[in-house]
Amino acid sequence: MKCEEIGELLPDYLQGCLKAEQDDLVEKHIAECGDCREEVAIWKKLSLLPMEQPSAGSRERFEAMLRAYQTGRSDKASAGFERPKRAAVWSWLRSPVGAVAWSAALLIVGVFAGNYFGNKTTHTNQDEIRTMHTELTNMKQMVVLSMLQQQSASERLQAVSYSRREDQLDPQVMSALVHTLRYDGSVDVRLAALDALSRHGAQPQVHEGVVDALQEQQSPLVQVALIDLMVEWRDPDAAQRLRNFVQTPNLNPTVKQRADWALSRLN
Amino acid sequence: MKEQERAETENDQAMKLAPDEDLMLEVRNGAGETLGVLFDRYHAPLYNFYAKLTGDRTLSQDLVQEVFLRILKYRQSYQPGTPFRAWIYQIARNARVDHYRKTPRHITFEPEMVAPVMPKDSAQQTEETELLHRALMQMPEEKREILVLSRFQELRYDEIARLLGCELGTVKTRIHRAIQELRQNFKQLERGLAPREAGPAVVKNIPPRRFGNEV
Repeated sequence: MKCEEIGELLPDYLQGCLKAEQDDLVEKHIAECGDCREEVAIWKKLSLLPMEQPSAGSRERFEAMLRAYQTGRSDKASAGFERPKRAAVWSWLRSPVGAVAWSAALLIVGVFAGNYFGNKTTHTNQDEIRTMHTELTNMKQMVVLSMLQQQSASERLQAVSYSRREDQLDPQVMSALVHTLRYDGSVDVRLAALDALSRHGAQPQVHEGVVDALQEQQSPLVQVALIDLMVEWRDPDAAQRLRNFVQTPNLNPTVKQRADWALSRLN
Repeated sequence: MKEQERAETENDQAMKLAPDEDLMLEVRNGAGETLGVLFDRYHAPLYNFYAKLTGDRTLSQDLVQEVFLRILKYRQSYQPGTPFRAWIYQIARNARVDHYRKTPRHITFEPEMVAPVMPKDSAQQTEETELLHRALMQMPEEKREILVLSRFQELRYDEIARLLGCELGTVKTRIHRAIQELRQNFKQLERGLAPREAGPAVVKNIPPRRFGNEV
């Protein structure tokens, strides 16, 4: 048996939960194999590291905490729990999502107020609603654009997923997403951007951006996803590009395999 | 009077034998004092979990207190019928991640940590323990954590899998890799070589916080 196979059994062996026959297998192997024997040995050796006792004051500190908590709670019970709730609402209002909801609410109030007070104007209701709708869409897209600039990858990820909620994407958002796909530092964000863009393949701008991105990607994950998308789109010049791509020196073997597969599908 | 005293000690006895889950239910229903029994059971293991993970005694003491404060605060989120041990370790991991989020860590290796409780058996064993401790501390925290959980906290693999949110098979693979790395580090130290990426490796690896399971 090879070390790799033994390695799979080893964790269970160390906890003593292997069946007798497997247990024998492992023991026979470690009798012969120095590397695996040392692995078992170091695990056993870990018992040398002592369990420590926490300091004696620890229990007192806990008691004090408990008392403080219980008194604090009875105080709070009479004062009510308003404060944390209010803080949560406030921070939500200040987040980009809150900002959109907030602006939309204001807009709706504004439109209704306008309608109510300005009934004599020539605008029909439908026009108003259309304007409102456009403005709302613009605002959402602005939020997406600003969120794509965030430092934290999770916020950029959130921005990308917001952009997916729109059926029609503003060209600006579209090019921001293409930019994200090409240059974002995080693989997850790039993959999400690709996913969001995949639904807009009919747009020539997106199409080009995605196909161009292949040559620049370093991450095999994104490369494979790009190749798959190109196959799905059945692009006329995809085959040519893939042929060039396969020539790239030091290409990851999995990616190369995928590209070859894609080429066979496209021909 | 004597009757009453005996009743009280009997009650204490019963409490000391009760399963964690029952005690936690009492805490959940408002009996904060019962948490003391759980504190007695868990504070030493948790302290050792943190100490082996961070190499920082003071921080470990603080984090243990934080865990019990969180238990009080979020006691309603304990689901009756679920294993308490899994829950408390989940809290413990989150408390650590949150701590490092607030205060970026400085270098954590604290060599004197082993010294005071060293076994006095032989000079050779003392040296071995010292090397082993250093080899462990040189590992990235994520790998060290899985070793600590399985070897020192004696969590079962399926418990670890639930805690880390991954498959049972993944846990076993990761444990095996961690053992391999520990062995490499140990060998290099024995030969008097510093392994690659000593030190800073400790600093970077904060495991990603899991949403959903937050306590």
